Amino acid sequence: MDVKSAMTRARRGLREERRLYVVAVSSLAVAFLCLGATLLGVTNLDAAADRWGQSGRITLFLKDDADPQDVAQLRVVLEGLSDVREVAHVTPEQAKASFLEEADVGADLSALPKEVFPASLEVSLVNGVTRERSESIATRLGQFRAVSDVESYGSWFQKLDHLLWGARMLAAGLALLVMFCVIAVIGNTIRLAVARRRQEIQVMKLCGATNGFVRGPFVLEGMFQGFASALLAVLALLAGYLSLHESVDSTLAALTGSRVVFLGVWTWLLLLTGGALIGAIGSALSVRRYLSV
Amino acid sequence: MQGTKVVRPFPFFRAGARASQPQLAKPILVLEDVYKFFRPDEPTLRGVNLKVERGEFAFITGPSGAGKSTLLKLLYRELMVDEGRVLFCGRDIGRLTDKSIPFLRRNLGIVFQDFRIIDHWTVFENIAVALEILSMPQRLIRSRVAEALERVGLNGRGDEQTSNLSGGEKQRVAVARAIVPEPALILADEPTGNLDPHLAIDILTLFEEINSTGTTVLFATHDHSLISKRDHRLISIDEGRVVEARQGLKDWPGSGIHTLVG
Repeated sequence: MDVKSAMTRARRGLREERRLYVVAVSSLAVAFLCLGATLLGVTNLDAAADRWGQSGRITLFLKDDADPQDVAQLRVVLEGLSDVREVAHVTPEQAKASFLEEADVGADLSALPKEVFPASLEVSLVNGVTRERSESIATRLGQFRAVSDVESYGSWFQKLDHLLWGARMLAAGLALLVMFCVIAVIGNTIRLAVARRRQEIQVMKLCGATNGFVRGPFVLEGMFQGFASALLAVLALLAGYLSLHESVDSTLAALTGSRVVFLGVWTWLLLLTGGALIGAIGSALSVRRYLSV
Repeated sequence: MQGTKVVRPFPFFRAGARASQPQLAKPILVLEDVYKFFRPDEPTLRGVNLKVERGEFAFITGPSGAGKSTLLKLLYRELMVDEGRVLFCGRDIGRLTDKSIPFLRRNLGIVFQDFRIIDHWTVFENIAVALEILSMPQRLIRSRVAEALERVGLNGRGDEQTSNLSGGEKQRVAVARAIVPEPALILADEPTGNLDPHLAIDILTLFEEINSTGTTVLFATHDHSLISKRDHRLISIDEGRVVEARQGLKDWPGSGIHTLVG
């Protein structure tokens, strides 16, 4: 296939069928926007999980009758661990005060006895400690005499993992759906274009054009449609991100300690090349049946 | 043509190509006992035997529906023979694979009654397409198209929109498209069918001029006024069979023109 000639003919095709292609590209851009938005959600969840996973915490609940000497010894051991950044002792009074300050249940809970709130050691781990390492530390600390219970927030991370898995599945499902949409829309658009240019195809075939020569410009047109749709969607997402991220960032930072991030370079490159590739495939499939002139 | 990237797997098919002496000695076209059926009991062509030498001009005639177009379609492989063989430059075109058919057609120039030119393209684009298929460089395409336009009497009109041309001019564009790749054989299927008698003679003369440069021309028509004006070889198809006259109606073996065109 002569690429230069195919590009010239594709340009002419795009010019002649521009209305048809504008409609197709806008519809596909919406599909890509949905996919892009989901990917943006997954990217941010991933970033948050990564951040939380790397700033691990362990809470050691102490027995009511724990010997202060045992607690002090435990604290020394903890502070000696390289994975531990900080250890804070929380007394039942402090725990109760903190609970009353944060709880908003609409009832007066100040009458609760302080024994309801056990004393604890809040252990902050250094950045970069993996979840597995955090679990292993928690298991070992649970064997100390003064400790009644250990909370390593594993179940919370498990829930987050489930949420991430669900979001990834949603993104994969949407990607599949978008792929079918792109193939169907581009396929139909090209089919319409082929029907309108049937005489051209017939003339070219009678002049000795190979199937590759006839197919070339249609494949390029499909490729362009896929690429343009994906590019429009990425630009729309970027515009949305730039206009909203400042106002969302402060709220999110307060809630989760992380900031909104945009799609990674590889993700949007994948969106653009994927769009172009699927467009080309959809186009090639739809032209194939019209080549027997 | 030096330095151009022209894809011609059958180079000896091309007019002007340096074919070997044995190749040149062969007739350009041979039909051997060719049958074509559209209905099992009623062949459109029955046992057609025909030999066309290089550089010949021949009319193919017969009543409407006699099988003129079918015969031509067998030559450019839009249809396949059901029995017999069609040899083009000694090659059985019935045995060509689908992938080889484009390369056969690059050695043919085909002209139709309905012109088959693209109205929203310019005259230049309509003619250049036949050379773009051969991957010729633009510079060469421009000069070859200009030359073809001059030969068909449309010199300097390459930039005009084809939709603005008259019927006769459109047919000239179609002829230019057919001759621009310098094919060995031109197949004209009722090329004057949509033109008035005056323009029909002009187009016939144009084909004769092309023939005078060595290109073989098969000119299908049922217009007896055209046939009667020239002494070219006459191949008549009636009820699927071929009757021939070497020098037009002068030699015609039947009882007059009416047996010829119905």
